[in-house]
Amino acid sequence: MQGNKSWLDVRMFYEKTGMAKYISHLDTVRCITRAMKRANVPVWFTEGFNPHAFLTFAMPLSLGVESYCETVDFRLLEDVDLTELTERLNNALPTDITVKRIAAPVFSAADIRYAEYEIIFNNPDELLLKNAHSMLSSDEIIVPKKVKQGRKKVEKEVNIKEHIRTYELVEKDGRLILKTVLSSGNTVNINPSLLIGALTKDTNTDSQDVDIIKLKSYTENMEIFR
Amino acid sequence: MVKKEVEKLLRKVQKPARYTGGELNSVVKDKNSVKLRYAFCFPDSYEIGMSHLGLKILYSLVNARDDAWCERVFAPWEDMETLMRENGVKLYALESGDSLCDFDLIGFTMQYELSYTNVLNMLDLGGVPVLKKDRSALAPIVIAGGPCVCNPEPITDFIDIFLPGEGEEVTNELIDLLIKHKEKGSTRLEFLRDAAKIEGVYVPEFYDVDYNEDGTVKSVKSRETAPEKVKKRIISDLNTTHYPKDFVVPFIDVVQDRTVGEVFRGCIRGCRFCQAGFIYRPIREKSPETINNQCRAISNATGYDEISLCSLSTSDYTGIDKLIPMLFDWALKENINVSLPSLRVDNFSDELMEELKKVRRSGLTFAPEAGTQRLRDAINKNVTEEEVMRTASKAFEGGWTAVKLYFMMGLPTETMEDIAGIADLAQKVVDLYYRNPDRPKGKGVTVSVSCASFVPKPFTPFQWEPQDTGEMLIEKQKHLLSGVKSRKISVSYHQSDTSVLEGVLARGDRRLGEVIYKAWQKGCKFDSWDEYFDFSKWSEAFAECNLTPEFYANRRREYDEILPWDHMDYGIRKEFLIEENKKAHNSETTPHCRIKCSACGANKLNGGKCDARK
Repeated sequence: MQGNKSWLDVRMFYEKTGMAKYISHLDTVRCITRAMKRANVPVWFTEGFNPHAFLTFAMPLSLGVESYCETVDFRLLEDVDLTELTERLNNALPTDITVKRIAAPVFSAADIRYAEYEIIFNNPDELLLKNAHSMLSSDEIIVPKKVKQGRKKVEKEVNIKEHIRTYELVEKDGRLILKTVLSSGNTVNINPSLLIGALTKDTNTDSQDVDIIKLKSYTENMEIFR
Repeated sequence: MVKKEVEKLLRKVQKPARYTGGELNSVVKDKNSVKLRYAFCFPDSYEIGMSHLGLKILYSLVNARDDAWCERVFAPWEDMETLMRENGVKLYALESGDSLCDFDLIGFTMQYELSYTNVLNMLDLGGVPVLKKDRSALAPIVIAGGPCVCNPEPITDFIDIFLPGEGEEVTNELIDLLIKHKEKGSTRLEFLRDAAKIEGVYVPEFYDVDYNEDGTVKSVKSRETAPEKVKKRIISDLNTTHYPKDFVVPFIDVVQDRTVGEVFRGCIRGCRFCQAGFIYRPIREKSPETINNQCRAISNATGYDEISLCSLSTSDYTGIDKLIPMLFDWALKENINVSLPSLRVDNFSDELMEELKKVRRSGLTFAPEAGTQRLRDAINKNVTEEEVMRTASKAFEGGWTAVKLYFMMGLPTETMEDIAGIADLAQKVVDLYYRNPDRPKGKGVTVSVSCASFVPKPFTPFQWEPQDTGEMLIEKQKHLLSGVKSRKISVSYHQSDTSVLEGVLARGDRRLGEVIYKAWQKGCKFDSWDEYFDFSKWSEAFAECNLTPEFYANRRREYDEILPWDHMDYGIRKEFLIEENKKAHNSETTPHCRIKCSACGANKLNGGKCDARK
């Protein structure tokens, strides 16, 4: 243990791929909580009336999105070998959720500013192939976005162009692949489905026949979130 | 393992994790290394089916064999079903993704009558002919078990084999037999002839039913190798029978998502309306050590943070005072909550209350079932008003502020006075709270009255009774509401049409097969869900078959009438049930089995043993 703290703050880096993309965020939280229990991880529990394992997820991941950059923070109450702990957790988790490593956190979850996605249109139609480039390079990409107005949630037209930091379009084997860095984090967060909706809106491309993969999270200075 | 064509559909449906499989502790085997593939089907949604203990037991039991592989199949929700039908995707098992029609044995668990149409729909969606007469190959064989098969007659058109009673032993015997016949290359008939020789196996096609002109059953005659009466199977020793070491842990929230420790089977109470109280006899208890070990193993293997004990009346378990401290000893240290459902008011001890205070507090539920003492005596619910008040008072002192009261409406001998008694009893509980100086400070009380509609069921003393019509039930519901004066009391009740259909299917005969088939063709499914239930379609189906629901639901049967389920032997003597029925009409009670054995006859199934009289 470090200094006079009686616990060790750690961050678990994991991937959520394949069929696990169909597990919602809340269900993922429960799944990982149970895995901690099965793996006997000496994790700190809250001390209220309803003690529960104290886990902090950096960003909730939308249903249907695969990710290679998920993180959850927790406190370890005992000194344990982190490599061995990684292995123990992997044995207690379903196959499509894989822990890559556990380490002391470098940044705070609030430091996340951007996320990189790979968006694959499996069956793009002619219109999408023709228009995608010009749409992405135009000054305005207006989408309907649910925003909070006081306590209420209302739908507003917003321009997300300024939140697309970079993008790259590639056509491959009849598929259209968009690699893009979007604003992410707890101030501005652009869900890739907004962009997909805008791109497919006036086309005949099925907006649900799209694979979305989250590759990395970045800080303000484009350092990889660790 | 979900196939590619299914994965495409998952993006367009609600709660896709219902259809993916791959949950922790689900069992995946090499299909080429097993001799038999068993599809365990629960005819309702994933969330309901995954909560069922019987599924967990049989899944683990079959998968403990090297030569068989058991997989799970649930009824897809409508959005998924529509997409599956549009895209020609057959209903598949979650473990392999293979279609239902590829299995050797397809087993349905029949927990409630209103799931019958889902059986037809699942077979159809799985590429299996719905009517058993259209299935000619040896496999798949469609089997069914569960409480509803104590009267299997309404669904005999669809099911090849019924397994009345407990499935742990007979499932393995049937699997052994089917493997043997598969290897021999037997015909379906050859297999069924051998199956009918196994005790507790009912092959309906070997029974001929004749009817009288008035529609009642004239005779039931067995043919071939089938016995005259089919005796239900029971497990003699629950300490040594198979129990899962782990549960499949669902990704999504399901109804019962926790470690379950089964404490005993059967019930000592003999409440006259309760089918479960009779068909699961005789009483067989597990030892506290066995239950404790089983709970611990499952908690370790699942990571669940809650344990619940399961039986028909857990506080009647003779080992409860030993078991609770045993569980608390390790569970509380590991932040695992222990919850005890179905506690009865009449033996809620001070010690138990103290133990309960240590864990998270949920609402308190009592089931007086009827509003007046006269009616409670008639139904043999041996609970007095004083006992309800005494326990509620203890509970209020213990910090509880929410009380749920369960009642039934439409009970035999019931009058409007009994209905008014429900509101009165709820009001007395509210008044008790405000008179109690030790009540929790600054908090109000809520009393939730939940009123189910009584449905007469086979193998109960009320199996001969007429059921209230929908109109009578609605009138009683109105009368109850008019009697509620306090805003602290909330009242909820069931839709009356569903109770009528449940009653018809519960006590029906073989002629109902056609009605169920027609109703399903008209689109009936998920009948137990209010948003899907459509009584007008069922009415059309009855009319087209020249049958009426009233014949099955609202008619008083004579004691000497041959009942459609008379060839099923559940151990309970018919004379005992007649005796109990007569006592009900005189508002006479019968003491519970621990006070005095009433010689129901069920102990004969277990060589004369019954743990009510250890």
